[in-house]
Amino acid sequence: MTEMTAFLSWSWIALIPGLPLLAALAVTVLHLFGPARGEAGEALTARLSVGAVSVSLLLMLAFGAQALGWGLPGQIALGTWFASGAWALPVSFTLDGLGLGFAAVTAFISWVTLRFSVNYMHREAGFHRFFIGMNLFVGGMLLLTLAGNAAAVFVAWELMGLSSWMLIGYAFERPTATLNAQRAFLTNRLGDAGLVLALALSLIWLGGLDWPTLAAGAARLPTLYVSLLALGFVAAALVKSAQVPFTPWITRALEGPTPSSAIFYGAVMVHAGVFLLLRLEPVLLHAPGILTLVGLLGALTVLYGWLGGYAQTDVKSALLFATLTQVGLMFVTLSLGFFELAAWHAALHALWRAWQFLAAPAFMHLMERPAAPAPAWLRRCPRLFTATLQRFWLEPLTDRLFARPTLALARDMRHIDDNVVSRLVGMPEAQRTAALLEADAPVVQGHGLAGRALLGLAGRLNRFEQRLVLQGGGGKLGAGLSRVGEMLRFVESLLEQPRYLLVLVMATLVVIL
Amino acid sequence: MSADLKHLLHELEHHLEHVLPAQAPIKDFVHHNTLHGFQHLPFRAALAAAEAAIGAHGFLPAVTSRAYFQQGRITREDLDAALDETPELRVNELLTGGLSRRAVLCAGLLHDFSPPAATWAWQVESAGVLRHPAADLSATARAALLRGRAESDVIPALWAACQGLLDTPPVAEAFDADAELAALLRCVGHRLTLRGVLLRLTGRDVLDELRPYLIRHLANFLDQGLAALHAPTPAQGFYAAWLASAQDDPHFALHDMDEWESTRERLPDNPVAAIAQSLQLLGLDEADWPAYLETLAKELPGWSGMVLWRHGHPGYAGLTAPVGLADYLAVRLVLEQVYAQHFAGRHFKTEASLSGLRGYFHRHPSELQVRLALYGTQQGALPESLADQAHRLVREATGRNGEEVDADWRPVARLIEAALAQPATNASWRLFRLAQHLGLDADAVQTLGATGAAALLECLAELTPERQGWVWLQAYERHYREQVFAALAANHGRGAWVERGGTSQTTPQAQLVFCMDDREEGLRRHLEERHPRIETLGAAAHFSVFIRYTGLGEVPTDLCPVVARPAHTIVESAAPETEARAQGYLQAQGLRRRWKTRLLEGSRRTPWGAALASGLGALVTLPGLALKSLAPAAAGQVTAGLRQRLEGTPSTRLTFTALEATPATPDAPRAGFTDMEQADRVFGFLRNIGLTSGFAPLVVIVGHGSNSLNNPHMSAYDCGACSGRHSGANARLFAAMANRPEVRALLRERSLDIPAATWFMGCEHNTCDDRVTWYDTEQLPSTHVQPLRDLQVALVEAGQLHAQERSRRFMSASLDMTPKQAFRHVLGRRHDFSQARPELGHATNASAFIGRRAATRGAFFDRRMFLISYDSAIDPEGTVLEPLLLANGPVGAGISLEYYFSTVNNERYGCGTKVMHNVAGLFGVMDGAASDLRTGLPRQMIEIHEAMRLLVIVEHRLDVLTAIYQRQPPLQELIGNGWIQLAAKDPDSEAIHRFVPGAGWVAWQAPESELPRVRASTDWVRGQREPLPPALIEMEPVA
Repeated sequence: MTEMTAFLSWSWIALIPGLPLLAALAVTVLHLFGPARGEAGEALTARLSVGAVSVSLLLMLAFGAQALGWGLPGQIALGTWFASGAWALPVSFTLDGLGLGFAAVTAFISWVTLRFSVNYMHREAGFHRFFIGMNLFVGGMLLLTLAGNAAAVFVAWELMGLSSWMLIGYAFERPTATLNAQRAFLTNRLGDAGLVLALALSLIWLGGLDWPTLAAGAARLPTLYVSLLALGFVAAALVKSAQVPFTPWITRALEGPTPSSAIFYGAVMVHAGVFLLLRLEPVLLHAPGILTLVGLLGALTVLYGWLGGYAQTDVKSALLFATLTQVGLMFVTLSLGFFELAAWHAALHALWRAWQFLAAPAFMHLMERPAAPAPAWLRRCPRLFTATLQRFWLEPLTDRLFARPTLALARDMRHIDDNVVSRLVGMPEAQRTAALLEADAPVVQGHGLAGRALLGLAGRLNRFEQRLVLQGGGGKLGAGLSRVGEMLRFVESLLEQPRYLLVLVMATLVVIL
Repeated sequence: MSADLKHLLHELEHHLEHVLPAQAPIKDFVHHNTLHGFQHLPFRAALAAAEAAIGAHGFLPAVTSRAYFQQGRITREDLDAALDETPELRVNELLTGGLSRRAVLCAGLLHDFSPPAATWAWQVESAGVLRHPAADLSATARAALLRGRAESDVIPALWAACQGLLDTPPVAEAFDADAELAALLRCVGHRLTLRGVLLRLTGRDVLDELRPYLIRHLANFLDQGLAALHAPTPAQGFYAAWLASAQDDPHFALHDMDEWESTRERLPDNPVAAIAQSLQLLGLDEADWPAYLETLAKELPGWSGMVLWRHGHPGYAGLTAPVGLADYLAVRLVLEQVYAQHFAGRHFKTEASLSGLRGYFHRHPSELQVRLALYGTQQGALPESLADQAHRLVREATGRNGEEVDADWRPVARLIEAALAQPATNASWRLFRLAQHLGLDADAVQTLGATGAAALLECLAELTPERQGWVWLQAYERHYREQVFAALAANHGRGAWVERGGTSQTTPQAQLVFCMDDREEGLRRHLEERHPRIETLGAAAHFSVFIRYTGLGEVPTDLCPVVARPAHTIVESAAPETEARAQGYLQAQGLRRRWKTRLLEGSRRTPWGAALASGLGALVTLPGLALKSLAPAAAGQVTAGLRQRLEGTPSTRLTFTALEATPATPDAPRAGFTDMEQADRVFGFLRNIGLTSGFAPLVVIVGHGSNSLNNPHMSAYDCGACSGRHSGANARLFAAMANRPEVRALLRERSLDIPAATWFMGCEHNTCDDRVTWYDTEQLPSTHVQPLRDLQVALVEAGQLHAQERSRRFMSASLDMTPKQAFRHVLGRRHDFSQARPELGHATNASAFIGRRAATRGAFFDRRMFLISYDSAIDPEGTVLEPLLLANGPVGAGISLEYYFSTVNNERYGCGTKVMHNVAGLFGVMDGAASDLRTGLPRQMIEIHEAMRLLVIVEHRLDVLTAIYQRQPPLQELIGNGWIQLAAKDPDSEAIHRFVPGAGWVAWQAPESELPRVRASTDWVRGQREPLPPALIEMEPVA
C-alpha cells in the first residue's frame, strides 16, 4: 500500500548494494582489458567507484526521506532466486528502521572513504586493485544491512571476507602482510562455517531463510533448537566483529592502506557482527543461553580492548583496541536486551571512528599533550603490564586451541594422501618424477583427440606466456614475475596446511549436533 | 672481559652513528645528508662504503638514466663530457684493433648487455636475436654494420664468428660442501648474523617471528606519549625492564620455546654481560664481536637508529628513561638466541651455534647443497620442477623427528648440480651485441682475434654498476649545469639594482626579504614580473634571530637552526588595550583544547567514557566528514571562521627588549635582547644580504611555513632554518627590532643609516596555499598604509600566479586552471585530509645562487634554485661570505642530499609510500603494525625530484673563494669531497668558473646557442608538466 503513493519504487533498493558491486565488476573488466590501468586510468576507476557509491548514497537518502513520509515497507520480495520442492529462496530485502539506518550510515562512510582514497591512493601501483576491493566491500556491507534473508547475508559475508583479504594483503611484496591476510581469511572461515550451519538448520527446521520466517520459527521451536540455530549466527558475528577469542586476526589486519583500515577495522565491517545480532533479535530472545554467551564474550572483549589499549604504541593499534572495546560493549548491551541502544551506539561509534582512523596519520599533531598515564592500580602491577603488552597471550592460546589440532590432522591427512590416495590413483611419486626428468623424456604426451587438443592448447598458452613474459627480455618483468612466483609459493605453502581447517571445524560442528 | 667489551661497545656506538639513520623523532624532522656518517669520504667512495656497509646502491638505476637519455634530459655531449671527467676509464685510449674505448664504453652505458639467461631459448627461436640486428641498434650503427648487405648474410655469420672466438663447453662445478660451509660461516659477524645464516639455510626468517615481540617492548620503552601504560621500571634501562617483564612471561612457553627456561636462569642482570654470554654461546671468535653487533644493529636500521639517537639526546622531550645501545643489543641478542635455538631445533635437531651448525652440515653435505641452492645467494636460479622437489624435501625434514639421512637428499643435489652448470654463451653474447653497436661484422671480429675480442669485453666489463652510476650522474648534472650557467651568463647585466643607492627615482617601491628556500623563487619572480619596482632578497629565514618562542597560549619552541640552541626567549602577549579580549581568547582556546582531548583521548580510554565520547564526537564528525569530502577548502575556511568567532582574535605584541644585560646562555636563556644585541643582529643580517643602503619605504621580512592535514612528515615542509618550524615569528621580531629608534640610532653609529621614512614589516608566507599572514599592521605609520595595501594586493596576485605555476607539477591538477582557480586549488590541498601531496616541498631543488638578486632577476629558474642575497661589492675580502657559506652550505647540502638518496633508492634510503604508514610512539612511522621504523622521505615527496648534487654558484672573485676554501675544513669536506658542486660567477662579467675537486677552477665555455626569451613566466610554463630549462623574461627596465 505504501508503494502506491511513494515516489520511488521500493524495488529500486536493490540498486543500493548493486551499484558498488557493478562498479567492482566494471573496474575489474576495464582493468583487465584496457583503459582502467596505470595513472592514466585512475580517473576512470575513481569516477566509476565514487559515482556508484554516490548514487547509492543519494538513493539511500531518498528512500530514507520516503520512509519518513510514507512509512516503512518492512519485508519486500523482488523475485525468487531459486526454488526446489518446499524450499524457496526469494530475493528479498528487509526495509525497517534498523536496516535503512545502518545502510545509510554505511553508505555515508563508504562514500567519504572512497572519495578520500582517490587522492590518497593517487599514483599507487595497486590503485585499481584497491578500488576493486573497496567496491566489493561496500556492496557486500550494503547487502548485509538491507538483506531480507540469511542467504543474502552469507553472500555479503563472503564478499567482505574476500575484500578484507585483498586489502590486508595489499602490499603483497611484504611477507608479513600476506601472512596476516591469510590469517584473517582463515579465521573468518570459522565464522563462515557457523553461518553455513545456521543456514542449513534454518532450511531444515524452518523451511526458509527470510527474517520473518526465522522470527516466527524461533517462537515455535524448542529452546535447544533455537539455541543451536543462534549459535551458528553468533559464531559468525563474533568472528567478524573480532570478539574474544577470535580477536587476534584483527590486530594483525592493520597492514593495508589507511583508508581500508579505516572502513574495515575502524568504522564499518567491525560492526557487521553487531548488526547481524540486532537483525536476529527475535531469534536471540528465544535463546537466552546464547545471549548470555554473547554477553560474556563481549565483556571479555571489553576488558581485552580496554586494558590492552593502554599499552599500544602505534596509532592504528591504539585506535583498533579502542574500537574493540566499544564493539564488545555493544555485544554486552544487546545481550542484556537493549537492542535499540546497541544499534544507536554502533551507528554513532562508526561515524566517529571513521574520522579518527582516516585522520590517524595526523594523530600526533592532533594530540595536545602526551597521553595521560593509565590508572594507578594498573601501573602498580607489573604482571598486568606484561599481560597487556602481550595482548593477554590470546593469539598463542587460541593457536593451541584451534590451530594445533588442525595442523596435526593436516599432517595425518597428508600422510594418507601421499601413501594411500596417491598410490590408489596412480600418481607418480616424488622419486619417480626425478627419474622422469633425468631421462630426457618429453614432459607432455597427448593421446587421442582430447589429449591432442589439450596439447595444442598447452602449446598455445605456452606461446602466449612467452610472448607476454619473455618478450620483456626477462629483465625487470622477469625479475618481478619470479618474485611473484616466490610469493605465490610462499602463500601456497601456507595454504597447504590449514586447508584442513574447514574440515576440522565442520567435523566439530557435526559432533556437536 | 666486561671492561673490554664496554670499551668496545663505546667504540661501536661512535661507529654506528655513521652507519645507522640519524633521523630525529619525526616531529623534529629536519633534512640532513642521509649518508652524513660517510661525509668525511669523497662522494663516490662514500657511496661505495655505504653500499658495502648497508647493501644499498646509491645511484639511479641505469634504466632510469637511459630513459632520461631517450627523453633528451641527458645528451650524447653530456655523456662524452662525463666520460672525459672519469679518468680511470681512459676513454681517449685505443684498444687493440684500433677501436676507441669511448665507443665501447658509450655502448655499455646506453645498452644492456646482461645475458638473457632465463629467456635464452625463446630469444633465439622466436625473437630471432641471432638472425636479426639488435632491437636497440641505432640507425647509424645499423648502416655501418650492414653496409647494404642483407641481414641474413651478416648477423648469423657474426654470431658464428663470436662463438668461434670465445665459446667453451659448459662445465659443471663440483660442490665442495666443507668449503661452502666454511665460507658461509665465515660471513657470520661480517655480513650475516645467526638469523642470516638460518635464512640462507631454511628460507625462513627468525626476525619475522621475533620482530612483533621485540617491537612491542621496544616501542613501549621509547614511546613519547602515545601509550598510557609503560614498563614499571624504566629507570634501570631497557634490558632490565624487558627482563623483568620476560621473567614470568608465558609467551615463550606458549610458543613451545622450552629453551627459554634454561636461558632465563643463566641470564645476567647486566646487559654487557648478557651480550658477552650470548656471543660466547654462539661460539663466535671475540675478534668478530664488534662486527657481529654492527650487523645485528643494521638488521633493523630504523629502530637501532632511533635507540642511538635517543641515547645521544638524553632527556629529550622530558623523557627520563635512559636509552642505551648495550641494553638494546643485549635484548636483541638474547631474543635472537632463543628464537634461533627453537628454530634450529625444529629444522636441524641441533643447537643454534656455529659449532652446532658446522657439525650438522659436515654430516649432511647434500642437504647443505640443496638448501643453499634453494635459499642461498643463487636463490631463484633453480628450474621450477627441481625447486618443488627441493621444497618438498625441506618440508618433510622439518616435520620429521629423527635426524635426516643425507642420502635421501643426494639425488636432488645431483640434479641441482647439473642444472646450475651454465652454458658459457655469456661472453659470446656480449661480444655479439657489442660488435653490432660498434658496426663490426664477422670479418672485423675475426680480424680482432681472441685477444682483441677479450680486450673489448674487458673494457666493457670495466663499466661496473658503480662506474655506470657515476658517469650517468655526472652527465645528468652537467646537462642542468650548462643550462643554468648559460642563463646566468645571458642574464648578466639585465637585472635591476646591480648597484645600490643612487637617486630616489630608482629606489624600489618595496623590498621583500624571503627565505632562501627554492620554493620562494617562483613567488619572487612573479612579484617582480608584475611589479618591476619591487625588489626581493633572500636569506636563511631565521633572520639571524635565534629564539625560544612562546606564542600566545602555546608552548615554547626553539626557532633557530637545528645545530644551534637559543639563548633568548621571546613571548607573545596580548596588546595592552586588548587584555580583556585576550583573556577571553585564552579561556575559549583552553576550553576547545580540553574538549578536543576529551574526545580524542577519551574515546580510547575507559569503555563507558569512550562510548560517550564517540557518541558526542559523531555529532561533529558527521557534518565534518561530509563537508571535508565535498569541499575541503570551504571546510577549512568554515572551521577557521568558527574558531575565530568563538575565540576572537586578540591583537598581540612581542616582548623582546631586555632591560639588563644579564648573561644569556642556552642553559639559562634570558628574556629578550638588549638594544645592543638587537642592533648587532639587525646590522649583521642586513650586511649579510647586502641591504645597507638604498632602503625602500617598506621593507618586508617574509618568514614561511606550511600547513597540511594528515601528514606525519609535516615538519619536512616547514622552514629548515628554524628546525622544521614556521619562521613567521622570526620575521616579525626582526621587523619590530629594526623599527625601534634606539636600534636605528645604534646602527647609525655603525654608519648603517636607515631612513626615518623606512618601515619594516613582518609576515609569513604559507608555501602550501601561497597565502600571506601579516603581523603588527596596526602599528604601521599612516603614511605607509596605502603602500602596504598596494603591496598586499600585489602579493595576492603573485600568489595566484605562483599557485598556477606550482600546480603544473601536481599530476592530479588540471593544466587549464586560471590563477584564481589555482589559488583555490592549493587552498583545498592545504585543508584536504585525504591529500598525500599537500605540496611538493623541496622536490625541485637543484641549485643555489649566493649573490645579488640582479644576477638572477629576469630569468626563469623553475623553482629549482635557493637564492641567497649577498653583495660582494660591500665585502671585497669575503669576511661576510665566509660565515654565510659555512652556515648555508650544510643546510642546502642536507636538503639536496636527503632528496638525492631518498630518490635514487626509495626502498632503502627513503621510507616508501605514505599510504601504509602507521605512526609509532610519536617518533616515527612503520609499515603496518610491526615493521622496522622507516626513515628518509616518502615516495610522495620525491616522485618528481631530479636526483643530482646541489650546484652552488657564488658571485665573487676566484681568489677570495679559494682563500675561504683553504681556510675552512667543513667547506673542504663538502666541496672537495664532492657532496655539492661549486661554481663562481664573476661579479663584473659573464665569466663562470667551475670548481673541480682535485683539479681546481675550470673556466666554463659558453655555448653558441641562445637562451629562449619569453614575455612572462606564465608563457614559458603554460601546458608543461615536466621540469623546464631556464629562459630569459622580458622585463621592463626600472627607470
